[in-house]
Amino acid sequence: MFSAAAPRRGSGLGFAMPAILLLAAFFVIPVVFLLTRSVTEPQLGLQNYATLVGSSTYAKVFFNTFFVAGVVTLVTVLIAFPVAWALAIMPARWSAVVFAIILLSMWTNLLARTYAWMVLLQQTGLINRMLKAVGLIDQPLQLTNNLVGVTIGMVYIMLPFMILPLMGVIKKIDPAILQAAALCGATRWQALTRVLVPLATPGIASGALMVFVMSLGYFVTPSLLGGTANMMLAELIAQQVQSLVNWGMGGAAAFLLLLVTLGLYAVQLRFLDRKEAA
Amino acid sequence: MLLDFNKLGAWKWALSAICAVMSLFLLLPILFIVALSFGNSRWLIFPPPGWTLKWYEELFADPRWMGAALTSAKIGVIVMVISVALGLLASLALVRGTFKGREVLRAFFLTPMVLPVVIVAVALYAAFLRLGLNGTLLGFVIAHVIVALPFAIITITGALETFDPAIEDAAILCGASPWEARLRVTLPGIRHGLFSAAIFSFLISWDEVVLAIFMASPSLQTLPVKVWTTLRQDLTPVIAAASTLLVALTVLLMIAAAVLRKGKSE
Repeated sequence: MFSAAAPRRGSGLGFAMPAILLLAAFFVIPVVFLLTRSVTEPQLGLQNYATLVGSSTYAKVFFNTFFVAGVVTLVTVLIAFPVAWALAIMPARWSAVVFAIILLSMWTNLLARTYAWMVLLQQTGLINRMLKAVGLIDQPLQLTNNLVGVTIGMVYIMLPFMILPLMGVIKKIDPAILQAAALCGATRWQALTRVLVPLATPGIASGALMVFVMSLGYFVTPSLLGGTANMMLAELIAQQVQSLVNWGMGGAAAFLLLLVTLGLYAVQLRFLDRKEAA
Repeated sequence: MLLDFNKLGAWKWALSAICAVMSLFLLLPILFIVALSFGNSRWLIFPPPGWTLKWYEELFADPRWMGAALTSAKIGVIVMVISVALGLLASLALVRGTFKGREVLRAFFLTPMVLPVVIVAVALYAAFLRLGLNGTLLGFVIAHVIVALPFAIITITGALETFDPAIEDAAILCGASPWEARLRVTLPGIRHGLFSAAIFSFLISWDEVVLAIFMASPSLQTLPVKVWTTLRQDLTPVIAAASTLLVALTVLLMIAAAVLRKGKSE
């Protein structure tokens, strides 16, 4: 082996130093500092957390956050599974087109995409006028400034994050297993529900968890499509800090969001990766 | 037979239909904005009664939009350079290093990517209030490097892992110094990874909204901040024009990235 003959080098840790120092100074220390303020401002103690957990205003924010994240995750999984399945087995020239559309949508500026939905969903917007034209509704539906708008906008943004990893998982499944199911007399429906879906479950679960976690902390789409009356957690943090200059409450809300996020990632590492390895 | 497209029977059409509807769902809103930006209806009526370029004229005539675009470009380029440089060094340490705890360090480098960006934004906002960096170019650059770096590191470590270190060793055996070997052998060998990392880093900074909202001041704002503040007032078609230009840029960069990938596979 050449490695023995190669000149000695340092351990290489020095190369990582600029990045480590940058992240320590402008990521770790500021985040830790923000979280400490939740127990030191306005005075030492857990009063901020007591307010957060105790008040019905904040309870509504938590409900909105988890409810929207849950619905978005569910809808995303239901759409993404057939699409990912089709993409995994389609002739390459078709899947390339769908793939390009997914990438285009994913890389299009987030505000541009949200703007499109704000225009499409408004009272005089295209969706309402089309529904009216086909006779489904008499009065325009309220689709923005509420959780319906937020959910549609978020599903639009999250779909690529679910489809792409799921497609990878389905591609790795050995077609012979499904042939075996058919040979053993399974109908198509049985093969789907008892073989394909269970084999894809690790991918569905980890994708769903990722979408759920991303939705919990999402800021832009909920504030533009949801309006101030339907606040979610990330907006609450921003509002406490920017408009109310209440760093204690902002820090406490940030800490809860951080805890849930890291907790769910820990679940993912602990259970899902192990399942995939097995 | 569920994984053989041609043996799916009727399900083949069902799956294709779902795929087509989903593609339209993703594509139509983007085409819709492009169409609106050329439509002459201030109230965004669709299909527009006529066509015009006046929203683009309004956009280009407004020094605030142009100033914001210039600021975004400036920040994006600086972020790109710093993020690729730091990402390359960090990746060399992660892939070629022999120290203990490399996996922990890798996880540490990726944390800014998994944390909700609003937490990073609020934390940096507090720190920058103390340091007087709010509303400065440096403040924007630092904030954007923090979130762009994980993507640069993922891309560059990926390229380094497929580049055989024996080639670098061979250069050293042939008389190159370790630095010469890194600069003249390894760097050209992973150039596709470096270019992709540069494109990613630029795009992340260029499109970033949440951090920018907190870093911005009335005198210094990026394009997304300008879009954001305008959107909160009204849905003027000028935003459609700005969005269309952003979509055009995205398409160009996607083509660039695709060409790079092709170059790599050859």
